[in-house]
Amino acid sequence: MKIFWSALFVLMTAALPLSAADLSGNEIVQRSLETFYYSGGDLRARVNMKLINPQGQVREREMTMLRLNLGQSGDQRYYLYFHAPADVKGTAFLVWKYPGKDSDRWIYIPAVKLVKRIAADDKRSSFVGSDFTYEDVSGRNVEDETHTLLRQEALGGRPVYVVESRPKGVADYARRLSWIDRERWLPLKEEYFDGHNEPLRTFTADKVEQKNDHWTVMLRTMRNLQNGHRTEVVFRDVEYGVGLKQEIFSERYLRDAPAQWVR
Amino acid sequence: MAAPFRKPLPHFFRPGRDSLDMQLRSLTQFSLARPRLIFALVLLITLAFLAQLPKIQTNTNPKNMLPPTSEVRVWNDSVDRTFALYEDTIVVGIVHPASVLNTATLEKVRDITAGILRIKGVAGRDVSSFTTIDNVTAAGPDLKVAPLVTKIPKNEAELQALRQHLFENPLFVDRIISRDEKTTAIYVPLEKGANGKEAADRIREILAGYQGEEQYYVAGDPVARDTFGAEMFKLMGIFSPIAGMIMFIVIYAMFRSLAPAATMMLVAMVAIIWTMGLGIGLGFPIHIMSSMAPVFLMAIATDSIHIFNEFSFRLRESKDKRTAIIETMAAVSRPVRYTALATAAGFAVLLFMQSVPVKVFGGLIVFGTLVLRLLSFSLIPAILTFVREEKIVQEEIVANRTLQHLGAWGARRPKTAVAISAVMIALALFGMSHIAVNNNMVAWFKPGSEIRNADAVINRALGGTSLGYVVVSTSEPEAIKQPQTLRYIEGLQRHLEQLPVVGKTSSVADYVKRINRVLHDDDPRFDTVPDEADTIAQYLFLFSMSAKPSDLDNVVDYPFQQANVWVQLKSWDAAAMASVIQSMQEYQRAYPANLELRPAGIAYFNFVWNHEVLWDMVKGFVLALAVVLLILIFNFRSLKWALVGYVPLLFTILIIYGAVGFAGKDFDMPISVLSCLSLGMAVDFSIHFISRLRQRLAETGVDAKHDLAALREALVWTAARPGKGIMRNAILFAAAFSVMLFAPLTPYITVGAFIVAMMLFSALFTLLYLPALIVLMRGWLFTTGVTK
Repeated sequence: MKIFWSALFVLMTAALPLSAADLSGNEIVQRSLETFYYSGGDLRARVNMKLINPQGQVREREMTMLRLNLGQSGDQRYYLYFHAPADVKGTAFLVWKYPGKDSDRWIYIPAVKLVKRIAADDKRSSFVGSDFTYEDVSGRNVEDETHTLLRQEALGGRPVYVVESRPKGVADYARRLSWIDRERWLPLKEEYFDGHNEPLRTFTADKVEQKNDHWTVMLRTMRNLQNGHRTEVVFRDVEYGVGLKQEIFSERYLRDAPAQWVR
Repeated sequence: MAAPFRKPLPHFFRPGRDSLDMQLRSLTQFSLARPRLIFALVLLITLAFLAQLPKIQTNTNPKNMLPPTSEVRVWNDSVDRTFALYEDTIVVGIVHPASVLNTATLEKVRDITAGILRIKGVAGRDVSSFTTIDNVTAAGPDLKVAPLVTKIPKNEAELQALRQHLFENPLFVDRIISRDEKTTAIYVPLEKGANGKEAADRIREILAGYQGEEQYYVAGDPVARDTFGAEMFKLMGIFSPIAGMIMFIVIYAMFRSLAPAATMMLVAMVAIIWTMGLGIGLGFPIHIMSSMAPVFLMAIATDSIHIFNEFSFRLRESKDKRTAIIETMAAVSRPVRYTALATAAGFAVLLFMQSVPVKVFGGLIVFGTLVLRLLSFSLIPAILTFVREEKIVQEEIVANRTLQHLGAWGARRPKTAVAISAVMIALALFGMSHIAVNNNMVAWFKPGSEIRNADAVINRALGGTSLGYVVVSTSEPEAIKQPQTLRYIEGLQRHLEQLPVVGKTSSVADYVKRINRVLHDDDPRFDTVPDEADTIAQYLFLFSMSAKPSDLDNVVDYPFQQANVWVQLKSWDAAAMASVIQSMQEYQRAYPANLELRPAGIAYFNFVWNHEVLWDMVKGFVLALAVVLLILIFNFRSLKWALVGYVPLLFTILIIYGAVGFAGKDFDMPISVLSCLSLGMAVDFSIHFISRLRQRLAETGVDAKHDLAALREALVWTAARPGKGIMRNAILFAAAFSVMLFAPLTPYITVGAFIVAMMLFSALFTLLYLPALIVLMRGWLFTTGVTK
């Protein structure tokens, strides 16, 4: 029902000349988070991540990502299986995401056949050495920040809202600007700033495609402007609504990857 | 009796035969004829150079003593890039008399860290402190990744838990906690180009806000370096004028007249403005070396005291000012010209050095010296025409009796003099054998100074403030993850740690061992490098998922082909890194492997800099010795006289370096620079003495070879009259530079002491030993012209 009203709302707003008063920053960010992190009931994708240091040297990670929404609660499950680099093949990563509190994460280390639960700060810990934090990969909560709609403009030929978000609690950034597609609701660009208002990181959605009727960012880049490091992520074989079962997202399958989905 | 002697040497003393002499003579006459034009010209040129001064740029970073293209800097920069390292890190030490592990101190550490993170220029993401450093711990099935202190412990149990975390993790001990737990540290890396002194000052401001039992110390290379740079400029600003004032007062006391004092200061100021204006106008930043140029030029300017000295005698003799000026210039032009040439040559040698700031310094002093001489023959005579005669010299004109006795003693007891000098030379050579070539920037600050204290305290308690690296390179990517490579690195660390100067080492092997232990429920038996490469790879992968990626980047390169071993040293001595390199090579020889080991880091830079620049200077010194000898030969048109004139110079240098050796003072950068200076200046006195002696002999027509009494008389005259100029020059020089003995930075004290000693010694040796040598060798020296 929520989706329906939202869709209706989008239809209306897309059809009418918009004034900023029509949507609050909060609502825009809420819609954007839903589209970016929750599209479809489930998702399966092959993800290639390139970590590029300032000298242009590259480390690659190749993984299968499985994602499942648990109803409308906002609870989510992620399963990540690493195919490459060869010496870490079989390493797998499980996330149970709860809105409003820190996620649970487990890792399986095949060389020592150990599953460990990782207790780490989502907001500042790097995801597999990339420029993305855990939070960037699995999403933050709309309540974590206060959002203000600054303006509407065009970005790369797309109509966008520009929203400023400031974290309510402690975070590694002081301010974030988001350029959110007014029709597709995906963030096309994000800029993070530190306390001196110096740019920290920049996210860009470099290629957006529609997959199973869902607008999906197929190529994205996160640049660390302070150390010159960047991470490029390519999504391939994106499928929504493939029928993932909740049981896959468990310690058993962490140790023994579900062959049906991980190939 | 005079004629046969004079004949072979006519062009020496007859002005007009030497074209340069003639030019200078006509310059002097022109200046006497058109003094106002000379003033106007000098004023115009001075204004032109003055206009350049506001463009001043400073560069106080001693790193620039080697060009950015030098091998060591290119290599160090590439290591910094490969391992995402910071060039500069400030270390803040916090010491509590009992233990820093108490609630109040930890709260202060938290708040100070938060304050430091807000400082501009600080690389906040990589500041290491209790509240920012990542700690990976095992808690049952959980792997906990969090800053070491997230919540300040409030009770004994919580403090005990923190204590346990700290001391079970070898990555923390000797880094952020001392073994006696009285000291902790905050490591503050700086962004490229940030000013270390400014950041340190901000940090000190923050620290000043915290009262209590804790003591705070701010140390690290950037602090020492940039503080030194800032102090240096302050000192130059204060000491140059004070030295000038003292010289003014001393000259006034010597001549009881303002005119010579004011003239000499004016000439010195003009030369300084032209020289600094040239350097700045050409776009050279003012560096440690070139900042000393004004004081050096002021010293070199004192050579014109010979003009005033001679003038005071001539004026009394001829009573006509114009004649006295022309006669004075004729008498002193040759020695003054050649002393200028010798000084310029001594510094010109610096132009052949590798280091750009040294070249610039050498070039500027050469220019300044030539300007000074030009002014001696133009501006000084021009000024003298304007001064009423009675104002010029009011002192009683008497040749100095002490100097007469000094010269006479040397002339009468030449063998005793030579014997004493032989003993002194032997002692000096023994002392010189104890000289160690070394450089230590922290030692540039006085014992008891804040920077030196901070360094000592932190070095005593923790792993060390001086950082070197050993880069281990393998032949192919991924090879670092091989167990045998990590074990080799581990062995290297243990080997290096046997050196007393090495406080701590860390490497990727330490991280792997740490993860192995944490994954195995903190079982100490797993504090080892695993046997499988895949296990190591997966541990490092896990590490990159759980900590700041930069922690890993600092110790291993992107393709896992190179590893970086951190070596913390407890001393900034260049010799400390030398011992690390030696130990590294020992290990390589004992355990041959297909791995390349190469030193890097700021400690390595200091080591190379020490070697290259200092030895460069030593080479320059030897070169300058040869050039000065050539100039003497050219000046005297005689190898024999050149060799004799060389003796007081050599003697002075031997005695001073002997004293340096006995005092246990390292041969460091300031001393090496002074060596070149000393050559060009100490030889001045010989040139004056011998030129004027031969002039006197020619004028009086003495047969020096056979008439010993007449030779002695001429020697006594020389010691007393030009000798007075020499002594005045030396005293003036020494007086001005003695100010530096009160400087708060040791290189300035060294420079001051060295110059004071050098001038007094070389003047003394000139007046004492030259007569002795000339008397002893008269048969050899005065062969020409006595064939009849």
